[in-house]
Amino acid sequence: MREQALAADDPVLRLDRVGLSYGPENDVLADVSLSLTPGSLTFLTGPSGAGKSTLLKLAYLGLRPTAGRVSLFGVDTTHLRRRDLAPLRRRIGVVFQEFRLLEHLSAYENVALPLRVLGAQERTYREDVIELLTWVGLGDRLEARPATLSGGEKQRVAIARAVVVKPDLILADEPTGNVDEEMGDRLFRLFRELNKRLSTTILIATHDLALVRKAKADVLRLADGMVMRVPASAMAARKDEPA
Amino acid sequence: MSASLSPLLPKEDAREAALFFVVCALCFLAALSGLVSRSAYAAADAWTNDVTGQITIRVRGDDAALERAVEITQRTPGIATARPITRGEAEELLRPWLGAGGVPASLPLPRLVAAEAAPDADARDLVQRLTGGLTSAGLETVVDDHLVWSADVRKSIDLAGLVALFAVGLLGATGLAVIAFATHATLLARRDIVEILHLSGAQDSYIAGLFERRFLMLGVQAGALGALLAFGAAAFVLYLLRQSDAQIWLLPQLSLSLADGLILGLAPLVAGIASMIAARVTVVRSLSDMV
Repeated sequence: MREQALAADDPVLRLDRVGLSYGPENDVLADVSLSLTPGSLTFLTGPSGAGKSTLLKLAYLGLRPTAGRVSLFGVDTTHLRRRDLAPLRRRIGVVFQEFRLLEHLSAYENVALPLRVLGAQERTYREDVIELLTWVGLGDRLEARPATLSGGEKQRVAIARAVVVKPDLILADEPTGNVDEEMGDRLFRLFRELNKRLSTTILIATHDLALVRKAKADVLRLADGMVMRVPASAMAARKDEPA
Repeated sequence: MSASLSPLLPKEDAREAALFFVVCALCFLAALSGLVSRSAYAAADAWTNDVTGQITIRVRGDDAALERAVEITQRTPGIATARPITRGEAEELLRPWLGAGGVPASLPLPRLVAAEAAPDADARDLVQRLTGGLTSAGLETVVDDHLVWSADVRKSIDLAGLVALFAVGLLGATGLAVIAFATHATLLARRDIVEILHLSGAQDSYIAGLFERRFLMLGVQAGALGALLAFGAAAFVLYLLRQSDAQIWLLPQLSLSLADGLILGLAPLVAGIASMIAARVTVVRSLSDMV
């Protein structure tokens, strides 16, 4: 599959009446429709177990929906073959709550992983990776293994890994879930900077409403298997409402 | 910054050591089966070649009957040479069973004629004509062309060869199954890595390549060690047999030849390639079950 240029008004990610069930009585997502415009930064909130992680997994092509259609960068993924998924995945950076760093690789090697997969020679990316790790504040921890890093440091490595190929879309699943509030704010500033500097489209799934209110970004609320869009202004007014 | 990057699949010392041992043992057994069956085949081949065309005539009677039997045999068309076997030669043939002390003078030895058929002679037809000629001359003889013996030996060796081939095949299939099982176990244990590689845009073939290379190296190294051990075992057995001065018919052919070197040299190559293929097929099939 050839990489497709995204028209200005094409959504980066579009879900049309998407459903996912693990059996006749076990609907995780019932009827989800949403779209992310290029360069947007959006939060996905909802109670625990609402299906936020599942929705992200559908978006990064880790799952196929049982109903509806998922389109990425203007490409309908419904009938794509396995080998055609890889080029689309290369345009997506994913950040997980539990980091998912490879424990046997150093911070530098973890960040360089997507470039190795693309077949790039180390000499062509070495400086970029070091610069990226310096940008996330880990320029002095290049050789550190994940086991020796703090939660915040691991998450910064994971963010650096997600952005190293300059993806068009970043999906973050509870990226601040395993760090304290201060580190959470710092990580969010990284996402904000990426969004502003590179116009990267970002979708962050979180139950951290304090962060969402501070961010003043659009919010998608997932509940009962469906998604509702909540404007940033409305979110600020709903201070007492649970996620 | 490290000059060389760490492998994307981490080394799994305990699991890989166990797998290395199993593949090594299988290669050892397969190489040894190959060596033994080749040696047995070569020995039988040499032995049957030796007796092919040889005819032994046992003569009942005195020395005059023996001389008469030699004359008739020499005159029979299709016979290249014929001569009586002396008492000294007969004693030499019996030495392995009766010892170096010689045969007691009182022990009657059969009178024998050793004949050799011409290369183009039909053995069965020749034996019939020879038997007819000796009988019509009034001699009481038994003619043995060794055909029955050599045919039996050939059949036995062919059967043994088939059994050895089956054993090698079985060992090979076991090796493939073990590698496939180990690959699948590694894949499941490293599902997290596989998922991250997929998310990074890796194709299935790229991931399969990582496993392929890992198991190719393991197969080659384990196969080489197994072959080396088989060579050591064969050389040790050969040494022991030669030291013991054993009088067994197989011994003269039990030596490490070029064919043995080929068997030993191919073992690591076959083990490596088989491991690589088993790993690739397993990974590609397993990944196709994932999204």
